[in-house]
Amino acid sequence: MVIPEFVSSRSLTLGVELELQLVNPYDYDLSEATADLLRLLRKKNREWDVKPEITHGMFEMATGICENYDDIFSQLDEIRQAALLCADRLDIGICGGGTHPFQHWGERRIYETPRFDQLSALYGYLAKQFTVFGQHVHVGCPQADEALVLMHRLSRYVPHLIALSASSPFVQGSDTGFHSARLNSVFAFPLSGRAPMMRTWTEFSDYFEAMTATGIVKSMKDFYWDIRPKPEYGTVEVRVMDTPLTIAKAGAVAVFIQALARYLMTEAPFEEQERDYLVYSFNRFQACRFGLQGVYVDPSTNEHRQLSEELLETFANIESHAIDLRADAACARLKDEVLKGENDASWLRHQNAHMESLAALVQQQCRLWRD
Amino acid sequence: MFDPIHAVFVRIAFSFLVAALVGETVHHYSQFPRIAGYALAGVVLGPLGLGWVDTADLPSMGPFVGLAVALLLFELGTHIHVRWLIQHPWVVVSSLLESFATFVATYLVTRVLGIETETGLVIAVMIMGSSPVIAMQTITENRARGRVSQRLLVLSGLNIAYSVLGFQLIMAWYQGAFHSQWLLGIGRFMMLVMGSLGLGVVLALSFKGLRSRFDLSVEHSAPLVLGLLLFIESLVLLFKWPVLLAPLIGGGLVKCWDQRPILLPRYVATLGSLLAIMLFVMAGSRLTWHYLWLGAGSAALLLLVRVLAKLLCVGALGPITGLDLRQSLALGVSLIPLAEVPMVELNDLHRFYPQADGVADAVVLCLVMVMVVLGPLALQWGLRFVRECRE
Repeated sequence: MVIPEFVSSRSLTLGVELELQLVNPYDYDLSEATADLLRLLRKKNREWDVKPEITHGMFEMATGICENYDDIFSQLDEIRQAALLCADRLDIGICGGGTHPFQHWGERRIYETPRFDQLSALYGYLAKQFTVFGQHVHVGCPQADEALVLMHRLSRYVPHLIALSASSPFVQGSDTGFHSARLNSVFAFPLSGRAPMMRTWTEFSDYFEAMTATGIVKSMKDFYWDIRPKPEYGTVEVRVMDTPLTIAKAGAVAVFIQALARYLMTEAPFEEQERDYLVYSFNRFQACRFGLQGVYVDPSTNEHRQLSEELLETFANIESHAIDLRADAACARLKDEVLKGENDASWLRHQNAHMESLAALVQQQCRLWRD
Repeated sequence: MFDPIHAVFVRIAFSFLVAALVGETVHHYSQFPRIAGYALAGVVLGPLGLGWVDTADLPSMGPFVGLAVALLLFELGTHIHVRWLIQHPWVVVSSLLESFATFVATYLVTRVLGIETETGLVIAVMIMGSSPVIAMQTITENRARGRVSQRLLVLSGLNIAYSVLGFQLIMAWYQGAFHSQWLLGIGRFMMLVMGSLGLGVVLALSFKGLRSRFDLSVEHSAPLVLGLLLFIESLVLLFKWPVLLAPLIGGGLVKCWDQRPILLPRYVATLGSLLAIMLFVMAGSRLTWHYLWLGAGSAALLLLVRVLAKLLCVGALGPITGLDLRQSLALGVSLIPLAEVPMVELNDLHRFYPQADGVADAVVLCLVMVMVVLGPLALQWGLRFVRECRE
């Protein structure tokens, strides 16, 4: 099988996908209302990008092509408000967060599409355990080779993005001690983690063909990499973020990536190399486990620093690009969170300390998503 | 060998064992809900079968059944989200329509069958509701989740409230029309409505108050919740008010006043199973050959009309309330079960009017016996039709 042609797209345009939780307002467990919600949304005859995810109780909403934060926020907000109206009609709640705090994977049901059925047959219970909720950000690239370079350069910042967006401390009713436990579900997939080091599209196409020849891979969707090229859209897709608790935060994370990408491609502060990946898994683990307080090992200098320090330096590095992209206000809000040492995961833990149950925590998440 | 009390206990214990074994066997070989097996056991143990349990045993079971009904209706009440219903009035309209249409259609059938107006009205009002016990048990057993399961609980809660109020209104009319005691009849009706509402308020406030100090979602809080409900039930019995209304209202008010998620522990489901066994054994024990001979034909026709009325009304209005046509039809079918409400109302009928003839008993008991067996099957089919059951 041949890899699809890389469609050229305008540099640094953005697209945001959010996977969201549908819950019932009685016990706040996941509600099997995906098909109902999508049916009501589609009745509104708007060209919203809304679709099911692997199990009932999940759905995905996505923006079209966006230029900046305002664009992302207005598009996400339009779908959010419509989805909330439909959810009210169905008596269900919608919320963000990387995991549902107490749902049990054994209770989940695979959403009936040929692809999800195929995934379920192949991966068994892993498919149901994949009931986790992420934010994906597409960054537009005019050329395929440029996309691969951006993908590898962004890889150094995977821990930063994990720590900023982490919102999944609870799994199956317990506090995992992680800030982002969602990614532990993704690790289980055989083709997850980092993408192999290839700098040209020709090399990448050869790799794709070799993989499809093995029968393991049928399309780019079978690569569960943290960052992967999306040739059909002409983008690099960053997939490590948990779904934040608000669309404002989702928009802020997206434009942070946009400013970072501009910094990486215009200033080229380092040359991407295989050596970068020596510390990749360690840094990634630290970010998942400890969030902003995790340790970050600089792949160039081997210096150990706290991730929050590293992030503050990154904010300084991308500041001028954020101003040019009108992303400075959103980035400033993220920087504030870093200075306070807080992310969505710490907010969830703090709330839970005062809550009667995890169900009450989900109720709070729904309120936050609504406000 | 046994004194009378011990003999009753032995029969009750035997009933539990037989019902549970039949329920498990039916479920194992047919995947039908266990509750259908309990009902079959009730028939086998009652006067139609072995004659092991009869109406003389009923007073011994009464308090247990009352407590379990109160607990289940309280839980059902917590699924009725009053604010949501106010914002989505079409759900209430569809509920009113399906109940009213069922009442009118079945009343007309009783007239066609030559049953007297008074008895016809009583029968129609008794069978217009659904069965929360069957609904909750079948949903729990099948681990069903989705729009139909959720809406079924709401509509069941509403239609049994209409049934209880309608029945009491007819009782008030009886008192006025046949005993010229209009003031007494209306006064009694107002009293029981206001009283049930008052007790519902007391229940909700007490539950909320206890919840502010104790975690009521854990097993060791069971004595608190059960004690509270038993206390409310004892007041209901003291004042001779309808046993179904106060816990239902209490649950609804708790949901309305306490915005936190209401999580009741597992003992609710366990008590639900025990209740279902007792209830269906009781139902079986009341159906005699005489009633069967008298009421079977009428019950069959009423059953058909009742099914059609619910199916058509819910099917027609479901799409306006956010369901698709398939879900609407499944919901219509899921509302068919009938069990505890007419049983309780038959008791009330005989308490108020011991002279009432046996026609209402014959027809309603025949209908209930068919419905407690077929109802869970219909409900399970409905939930499977919309893929809300775990296979």
